[in-house]
Amino acid sequence: MTDPVHNPIKIDPEVCVKCNLCDWICPGDLIYKEEDNRETLPEVVYPDECWYCGLCQSICPVDAITVIFPEQMINCKTDVTTLLGKLVE
Amino acid sequence: MTSSWRTVDTDVLVIGGGVAGCMAAIPALEAGLSVVVCEKGKVLDHCGSVGCGVDHYLTIMDSGPEWDTPEFLIKHVPELTDGIVDMAVTSRVIHEMPKVLRKIETFGVNFKDPRYNDYYRLRSFGLPGTYHINFDGTEFKKHIGQHVRKLKGTVLTRTMAVQILVEDGRIYGTIAFNFRTGEWLVIRAAAVVLAAGEVNRISLNASGNAFDSWHCPYNTGDAHAMAYRTGALLTNMEFVETTITPKGFSAQGLNALVSEGAYFINKSGERFMFKYDDKGENARRAVIADAVINEYLLGNGPIYADCRHLPEDILDHMEATLQVDRYTMPAFYEQKALNFREEPVEVSISELSIRRSGVYFRGSGLAVDTDGQTSIDGLFAAGDCASVSGGIAGASVLGHIAGEGVATFLKNHDGARPEIDMEEANATRDQAMAHIQADEERNLSWRNHEDKVRQTVTNYVGVRRNKKGLQLALDTLLALAKREPELKTDDLHGLMRVQEATNIRLNAELMATAAMAREETRTGSSHHRLDYPQSDDTNWRKFIIIEKGEDGPSVSTLAASEPLATKFTRKNVPADNDRKILKSAV
Repeated sequence: MTDPVHNPIKIDPEVCVKCNLCDWICPGDLIYKEEDNRETLPEVVYPDECWYCGLCQSICPVDAITVIFPEQMINCKTDVTTLLGKLVE
Repeated sequence: MTSSWRTVDTDVLVIGGGVAGCMAAIPALEAGLSVVVCEKGKVLDHCGSVGCGVDHYLTIMDSGPEWDTPEFLIKHVPELTDGIVDMAVTSRVIHEMPKVLRKIETFGVNFKDPRYNDYYRLRSFGLPGTYHINFDGTEFKKHIGQHVRKLKGTVLTRTMAVQILVEDGRIYGTIAFNFRTGEWLVIRAAAVVLAAGEVNRISLNASGNAFDSWHCPYNTGDAHAMAYRTGALLTNMEFVETTITPKGFSAQGLNALVSEGAYFINKSGERFMFKYDDKGENARRAVIADAVINEYLLGNGPIYADCRHLPEDILDHMEATLQVDRYTMPAFYEQKALNFREEPVEVSISELSIRRSGVYFRGSGLAVDTDGQTSIDGLFAAGDCASVSGGIAGASVLGHIAGEGVATFLKNHDGARPEIDMEEANATRDQAMAHIQADEERNLSWRNHEDKVRQTVTNYVGVRRNKKGLQLALDTLLALAKREPELKTDDLHGLMRVQEATNIRLNAELMATAAMAREETRTGSSHHRLDYPQSDDTNWRKFIIIEKGEDGPSVSTLAASEPLATKFTRKNVPADNDRKILKSAV
């Protein structure tokens, strides 16, 4: 089953320049960064709602973000036939 | 939590800032109208389905050969859509393709391939010519969003429209809230364009992650749901769309794969597509999906996409452009330690969406006329929530048509807006805010609610349907509706998801209702009735139209040879509504 705590958006706190762009660009409203405060790091508040679009990674000016896929995406074991419907006789 | 209202007045409100919404805003702004775009994302340059890029654009270019003319493509639309398509609207869209393409180029989008300093055009999805420009559209949306800002459109970000407002059959605004600040807004508008995209998060997928979807998972049928509640006519809601994706990651990319020449093979290594369509891998998306589904059901899975036979230069191009449609695709292959040049890639069908049933031009959503106007006066629709849809080109062109339509509408009509019925506004807000306020009675999470909808749709409303299954689904979906007052969330972000979850459920109910009505099978995986396995042109070459009835959805039909606008009873339908139906339309 889905690991509920998998965080797909890894932000390197040593590299991050705390600029707000990842919060600004995320289409899903997942990343929250306190505005006008260069001391605080962005926080991935809703990690399980990630689209894996990578916009945060693409816009990060210092390459502090890496998108990490969870095991169930990388090594997906789902039987595809379970997605194809159930016949009710 | 309840605060006072912020009132916004505008000539035009656009709900959804993706390609269709921006392209609708542009002609309205050019006509000197004030335009407000209401958008759940934060930045217009990167929101919507192609905010992170796109690599194909379907268009006529009038480059010389006969196939590259509007007339030629229009002639083939009935076969591309199995005869169920609004030819009046589609003809106008196809005719305006070259004009809109050139206009987008003036915004700074470069459709040319740097290898040739020319357009690189490919054939795919059953189209009778190389209509798709393959290009680096990483910044496609950025240029369009920037143009809206340049023309001084107002953008309300992180703002979700909760309900559109209609009085005497005429739209006059919407109620919305900002899920970062908690501010509630009444937006009064003389005309509204719905461009909120398709319905995603409606079924299960291979990864088990509901937000891992082919298209934007934050597109949750908000336009369909809001319009349905106010009595607008919707059509083609029975058709589902699915695509083929690398197993585990529902990403875009099928178009590039098949148009560059990849094969699909089953576990025995058999290239099976020609068993299903004489175009092989160049069949329509719905046909490819149905073939893959059938191979899995025959026990021939796993199914793979195979690129090993392709020449080095094609593989190089595919590898170099892998990230254009989905930025993270190279990372996925890297983390999976898979080299698509040397190994076949295991594929799955994606989750389902209510969008355009795996074919071009037959959109599932709001019925529109040749100006993009819906059955409600002053309410327009474009993009993947409208009855004619065709990827980003369809969104661009119909969006542009709707924007021009709005400008014409406001020239010909009284732009006065009625006073907002604050009693209704307060009731809508109170009903929403009740989900966020402490109440022991409420303990249902939107995730749990959505999961049940997805399981129900996957099992009984998905790619294999019959009457008993659909009835079971409807019973379940209606029971889930009754529980919606119990939805509980802790924050404003969650309140947005609650709204989305209820919209998803409503759309699933509309889909199941329409699927029950269509007693035939049509277009591969998009409507496969096990109890009516054949297409029935005699009785079912018809649109199914769905609208709000007294006790839930009410279904009617219309011969597919008629424009959907035939069904409209707007007060202000122009007498020459059919003026743009072209002779070339079949």
